[in-house]
Amino acid sequence: MLQSPFLSEESTESTEELKFHYAFFLPAEDNSFFSRLREGAIAAASSIDCAVTFHPIDSNPLSFEMARFSGFDGFGLYLYEEDEKKLQFLSEIVKEKIPIVQIENEVIQDPGSFFIGTNNFDIGKGIGQLALETGLDNFSMVLIYSKKNPGVMSDRNLVEMGIKSVLKEKLSDLKTEETSLNPLDAGMLAYDLLSKEPAIDFIVLTDPNDTLVTVQTIIDMNLVGMVQIIGFGEHETIKAYIEKGVILGSIIRNPYQIGFSAVIALKEISLNGYTSAYVDTGITILTRQDQ
Amino acid sequence: MKNSLKTRLLIYFLISMIIIVFSMSFVLINSLKLQEIADRRFEDEQFLQELQSYLIDIQLPLKSYLTSYSSSSLAKLLFLIETLNESVPVIRPITADNSVLIKREIYFLIDSYLIKLNQIIEEKRGRKVLQYIASYEKLNSLYVYISSRIDDFSLFGFRTQLEEYRSFIELFRRIQIYGLLQILLATAFAFSILMQTINNIASPMYQLSLMAGKLSGGSFDIPDIHFNSVDEVNQVTEAFNNMKHNIHHNIEELKKQKEMEQQIMTEKVRNLKMEQLLKRMELYTMQAQMNPHFLFNTINTGVQLAIVEDADRTAEYMENLAALFRYNIKEKQFFVSLRHEMEGLESYYNILKIRFPKTLNLVLNVQNDLLDRFNCPAMIIQPLVENSVLHAFSKKDGIGTIIVAVRFEDPLLLISVSDDGVGIPPEIISELLTPHTHDYKLSSRVMGLENVIQRCYFFYPDQKDIIDIRSNHDSGTEIIIKIHTEVTPCIRL
Repeated sequence: MLQSPFLSEESTESTEELKFHYAFFLPAEDNSFFSRLREGAIAAASSIDCAVTFHPIDSNPLSFEMARFSGFDGFGLYLYEEDEKKLQFLSEIVKEKIPIVQIENEVIQDPGSFFIGTNNFDIGKGIGQLALETGLDNFSMVLIYSKKNPGVMSDRNLVEMGIKSVLKEKLSDLKTEETSLNPLDAGMLAYDLLSKEPAIDFIVLTDPNDTLVTVQTIIDMNLVGMVQIIGFGEHETIKAYIEKGVILGSIIRNPYQIGFSAVIALKEISLNGYTSAYVDTGITILTRQDQ
Repeated sequence: MKNSLKTRLLIYFLISMIIIVFSMSFVLINSLKLQEIADRRFEDEQFLQELQSYLIDIQLPLKSYLTSYSSSSLAKLLFLIETLNESVPVIRPITADNSVLIKREIYFLIDSYLIKLNQIIEEKRGRKVLQYIASYEKLNSLYVYISSRIDDFSLFGFRTQLEEYRSFIELFRRIQIYGLLQILLATAFAFSILMQTINNIASPMYQLSLMAGKLSGGSFDIPDIHFNSVDEVNQVTEAFNNMKHNIHHNIEELKKQKEMEQQIMTEKVRNLKMEQLLKRMELYTMQAQMNPHFLFNTINTGVQLAIVEDADRTAEYMENLAALFRYNIKEKQFFVSLRHEMEGLESYYNILKIRFPKTLNLVLNVQNDLLDRFNCPAMIIQPLVENSVLHAFSKKDGIGTIIVAVRFEDPLLLISVSDDGVGIPPEIISELLTPHTHDYKLSSRVMGLENVIQRCYFFYPDQKDIIDIRSNHDSGTEIIIKIHTEVTPCIRL
């Protein structure tokens, strides 16, 4: 019932001195991907003697601009847009020889910068393999990118290449679309596509929220089974849809592992000056058989 | 002394005071610690605000220097740069605490700001117009960013403080509860100790009062009482036990003394009884001697008269009578030899032969060897014979026979006087065989049989069957005296 006030005080403030302070510059969106990425980074930091702080990369440009003056021992960057200014600031950081880990998106190629994340080509291949499991011979597919999950969008051509590499001539048509940060616009997009182009039999989504909204639209249009959906993420509702057969499968990345690996890599660079140049945290394909 | 009431109360008081002081100190220390924590939060903010004020102060002389090349502005600027540089901590620890990280970030930003500021001053001195203008823009951006980070810190601190406020209040409440609990515990402790002490004193006192009650009732066999109480009570208890033992001992002594006195009194009474009996015996003797003396003198006169008148039988008779009385009167001893007793009886026998020549037949059946071998109380046979003569044949015709027999059946000497007279009624026998007490009233019947029986009882008080009377109506009576020859009579003269 009662706790020592001294213990309580100790619990409110951690005074253990750490060695390194790493700053992660991430998009401001508060979705599960970045939440898990932060969790992974914090878990890694607490397991080694590091501190991590998270900063917005796009909502406050000054923050990123001044980053090199802020005394950080390393950066984890999620640069999903090749912005001129950001690239300039990044190059200034590189000049300062501050360790950098680029997460999911490799916007600059520099010996002092390292990549951690998922290979988008693998995501494309995963989508293609899922589609093949339907046994169809002809695929008319729509691939919907989303600003809500810019990581996939940055190297979009790699995703498409991956799909094509698996489906080859069976892929009769591959359209690409893009949704904004509006949580409901995927539904509107799906409705428009299916209304105007009834030949589409495959919709591939690259964001968990877009997946849920699109599935709801398919159900509302009474097209379940006629249009196959490949989702993204491991939301419980997505899993439930997979089990019911509404969704064919889902592409799952491992953001926790990405965040965790990023911090470990930064410490390795701080201590040794190098780490593995490329860390692929891989993807998982979730299907009905896995349920 | 350690266990004394005074010491105990002092120790309990000190313990209670220590607990209360400890609990109050606990509350005080924790309150001060909380205040220190709160102060530290505000201290950080105040320090950063101070740094920010230096940055603000720098802006005006910087602009002035860049625009007018004012030396005073430069001096002020350099002074502020130096002040700010000295103010920024050199040690910048990294911890998991976000506020510490923000502070660290701000210090590094200020470092960069000061470097850039010095760089601008150098560029201004070198009149590199385009460069210091461009640098100023960057410096200004940095200044804005530093200010925003300090604001962020204040905002973060404010939010943290808001979050902490509740836990702070909760913490303070908890401290107060701890303090209250400690005071309650101290009070309960003090109260329990007080009650224990009171009980330690009251319970023995109550027990002592109960014991005292029992003692006053005369019950001294109660076991000793022992208490593990304070020294004072233990001493009282010990004194009480000692008092009980002493009283018990004294009372036992008194009882023994009383018993001894009782024994002495009994002995005295017994002696008194003995004296009374002796006096009575003397009285018997005197009574027995009164008439015989007179008669003895008279008979002697009669003997002389009979001799003068030549009445030989009368003279013989009177002579025997005189011999009998002489025996009776002269004999002063309680015990005489059996021979002596028999000689007295023979005198009486001769008289009886003259008195009752045809109606009384007296037979003496005595072993001669016994006569000098044993003693017997004086004057016991003749009265028995006389009793038979007087009462056995008064209502009977014919010749009456009285047999006196003495025999020895080891260890008893049996003296028997039997007659064939009318016998003695049982109630009379019973009355006769009842030993007399000292307050027995003398009667006319003290003479004769009763006298003999009572004297036998007197001489042999422990031999209840010293005398036996066997009698049947009209069949005669036998009176047997059984003298235990190995028993010493209670009195011998």
